[in-house]
Amino acid sequence: MMSHDLDTTTHGDPALAGWEIASVVTSCLIAEWTIFTFAGGSQVVGAIPVTLAIAFMIFSHRARGETLKDIGFRLDNFFRAARVLALPTIVAVGLIILVSWLRRNHQFAFAPLRLRFLWVPLWALFQQYALQGFINRRAQIALGAGVKSVVLVALIFSLMHLPNPLLTVLTLVGGLIWAWAYQKETNLFALALSHTIVSGVLALSLAQDLVYNLRVGFKYFG
Amino acid sequence: MKLAHALIAKSIAESILVGVLAVTFYISAFPPTYHGWGEVLPDGIAGWAVNHASPWERVEVQLFIDAKFVATATANLNRPDIVAVGWARDAWHGYKFDGLKVRGPGRHQAIVYVLHSTRSGSQQTLQRLGDPIWFNVDDSGMLEPIYTRRFVAR
Repeated sequence: MMSHDLDTTTHGDPALAGWEIASVVTSCLIAEWTIFTFAGGSQVVGAIPVTLAIAFMIFSHRARGETLKDIGFRLDNFFRAARVLALPTIVAVGLIILVSWLRRNHQFAFAPLRLRFLWVPLWALFQQYALQGFINRRAQIALGAGVKSVVLVALIFSLMHLPNPLLTVLTLVGGLIWAWAYQKETNLFALALSHTIVSGVLALSLAQDLVYNLRVGFKYFG
Repeated sequence: MKLAHALIAKSIAESILVGVLAVTFYISAFPPTYHGWGEVLPDGIAGWAVNHASPWERVEVQLFIDAKFVATATANLNRPDIVAVGWARDAWHGYKFDGLKVRGPGRHQAIVYVLHSTRSGSQQTLQRLGDPIWFNVDDSGMLEPIYTRRFVAR
């Protein structure tokens, strides 16, 4: 067993855990696709499925007796987790900059910084919480720790980034690495740091025709 | 409350949300309050159109023949007959597309749509008024109706 705190043998019905994953994924898909289709991107309406998903995740944590530390909101293993993530993050950043350099005729060019980038760390932490702190943990209950649950988490993360082709591929790879790292060291802050660095470099260095403002779901089309 | 109950409650809440959104969107984009009818005249297509949600509005209609746009008009001509049968509160909801040049001889289909703008103005939709109108065109270019079974205003 890896060094995380989840004992999958005592956390109940694997099928129920599977339904929990399906429920949260459905909320995300409703927010990404249905709200933009029917309500023109209304933030108030969009908040409903997101709120339902958050409320359900909190309820589930309480029902299963999971603490914030169990989920990964902790600092005691931050540096161990950061060490696990350092090499993949550096490689990812290097590859993104290399691709950007090649596509811009061997020149470095970065997009201007925007105020909304200040939200990226929080957004990254929220995404990693939902993906790892909830979905990864439930995937481990359903499928056990290891390859199967890691692949499931990565596929779900990738699904959430459709139909943006580049992000779908990148998040599949990122999802594999981050899900594996979470199962090795349960720390959401280190994951959010890695996520922030990679998405920040991605948004700043790659041409917009490739990343299309990191848009996903129905919003991708405009 | 058990976890399974929470799952069911959340699913029901989301089903209701999606259902409400879908119905609201449909009613906003394609309000079921438009009614109208069209018929063939020797020199064109004429009829009436009314929006029961806004009875005094003179709605805009568009004519398509054989699925191709032909003309647009405002339904503001005098049609006292629709007041008499209770379809409208005032008579000024008629329209007429005349002087149509349709290639003949042959059979053609005309459809009259009402143009609707959503409140925000970000979307415009077309809704068919009544049934498709089938007609023949003779050698001289005159239109002649082909009667079908249904005669129900929509």
